[in-house]
Amino acid sequence: MDKILVFVEAKGDGPRKVSLELLSEGLKLAESGQFSMEAVFLGKLSGTVKGEILHYTEKLIHVTDPVLENYTAEGYAMALAGYARATGAKMILAGATQRGRDFLPRVAALLQTGIASDVTGARWNADPMTFIRPMYGGRVLAEVSFSAYPAIVTARPNSFGVGAPLTQKGEFAEFQAGISPEQVKTSIIKTEETTLGKVDLTEADLIVAGGRGLKAAENFRLIEELARTIGATVGATRSVVDAKWRDQADQVGKSGKTVSPKLYMGAGISGAIHHIMGMDTAKVVLAINNDPHAIIFNYANYGIVGDLFEVLPAMTEELRNRLGK
Amino acid sequence: MNVVVLVKQIPDPEALVAIDGDGVSLDIEQKFAMNLFDEFAIEEALRIKAKHAGKVKVITLGSRKAIEALRTGIAMGADEAVLLEDEAFFDGDGYATAFVLSRAIAKEPFDIILCGRQAIDDDRGEVGPMVAQFLGLPHVGGIVKLDVADGRAFAEVAVEGGKETVEVQLPALFTAQKGLNEPRVPLITGVMKAMKAQISRATAADLGLTTAQTGRQGSKVKVVRYSLPKKKPAVQIIPGTPREAAVEAVRILMDVERVF
Repeated sequence: MDKILVFVEAKGDGPRKVSLELLSEGLKLAESGQFSMEAVFLGKLSGTVKGEILHYTEKLIHVTDPVLENYTAEGYAMALAGYARATGAKMILAGATQRGRDFLPRVAALLQTGIASDVTGARWNADPMTFIRPMYGGRVLAEVSFSAYPAIVTARPNSFGVGAPLTQKGEFAEFQAGISPEQVKTSIIKTEETTLGKVDLTEADLIVAGGRGLKAAENFRLIEELARTIGATVGATRSVVDAKWRDQADQVGKSGKTVSPKLYMGAGISGAIHHIMGMDTAKVVLAINNDPHAIIFNYANYGIVGDLFEVLPAMTEELRNRLGK
Repeated sequence: MNVVVLVKQIPDPEALVAIDGDGVSLDIEQKFAMNLFDEFAIEEALRIKAKHAGKVKVITLGSRKAIEALRTGIAMGADEAVLLEDEAFFDGDGYATAFVLSRAIAKEPFDIILCGRQAIDDDRGEVGPMVAQFLGLPHVGGIVKLDVADGRAFAEVAVEGGKETVEVQLPALFTAQKGLNEPRVPLITGVMKAMKAQISRATAADLGLTTAQTGRQGSKVKVVRYSLPKKKPAVQIIPGTPREAAVEAVRILMDVERVF
């Protein structure tokens, strides 16, 4: 039976949603009888996270080594490749998170195999299995297949669904990576937190974004208030980031982040192509712009042609009423 | 300090991209540009050279046209440029491309390799980390600050909710993220120097590689077919006063689309 490994990442108290999405796909494949699956976690594993992962896997392998105490691309790559080799894995799935995209290519190089990065779909039953990935800023989709194994795939968050948890928890085992410290030449010296507990744009289900139409940095509070009401993450266009109204971390677009939320609300955004490329896989797009010819309306499901200084507060108030806040 | 910068010439982000009738190749408008993130890499290399003395070498794998990207590097201030040009290199996946680049880099001693965090045509972001792994080097991805000291470097990376400072032993590879620096605009003297510059070339044979190891043959992932994303239906404009439209929008999002 071909073995699938799902690399799991944690955030705070639980596994990342994208990891649960891939564990769910792994479980479906295991159900078919052709595959076995294992969740793999590297480094410090809390009891809470462990407990949650066990509800979404047949088996959880905890790969340990002092070198894995903090994330390094080298250390994580050696550990995951080492386990994949030892266990004869045929496929490795991981979320296309910042970390996933950073070290999984190294795993591929170590195992002399291929990687498909940032896939948004899979044809699991095709022979050979193929994966869909956007190119040219999402304007073209490429369907790719592998000629080497294990096939390594990083998947864009929100591309797959999270299934129901198992009624019976999976097994747990530890695996010693056996990496000598001299093999890792990177170390994290300092971590500074600037914002706590924020949902990352790339994993957010709900995003409210603002552009130059907001006219001034302080007017972003209209976006923030609306976002707060529905628990959305705030996004920004390149021009407001370049104008230093918002942080680079908030930028959605070609040179910023690519997002895939259930809802993308954009206010005061014209819809320049490099921005559209960062959000056009959003399921529902609502655009608010004074200009009826704004390009963003070509990429939206719903549009309001109007003054955002009136529309945004009105929406915030209506949402508060409806959500009982 | 010897710094190597990997650059890629890509279709201009506004170039038209269409799928050929057969579905297995692309028709791309012939307008080209330097990959955005590579500009940050070149700029950072030049700043390191200014502080620590040494040499900046720009390398690209591409067709003859890619020489333009190399000339841009020289115009900005790079000392040398190498074009890896061979039909055998074409259509490579991240693996095959990284493999060829790592062989070219290894020909001469170096301290630092810089490249963009991803190319905005293929959007893969694989080559940087793979080159580092093939060369047995550490790498730091998506840096927004870089300080080089004695045999070590300190890099800052923006992470979810904050910033991380990482120390790494040299030689090492770094991939550049937006915010690392503001790339300089080449001066006219630089442009003139670039037009006259000697560009070195290397083929598969020069690098001791067989066609089986490079390009399409050396790839581990192949494109089976291309397709276009599903077209969105035309926008539904919500009418009424701002207040009326706002209320209706909330109703649609909550009761029709059920997004929250």
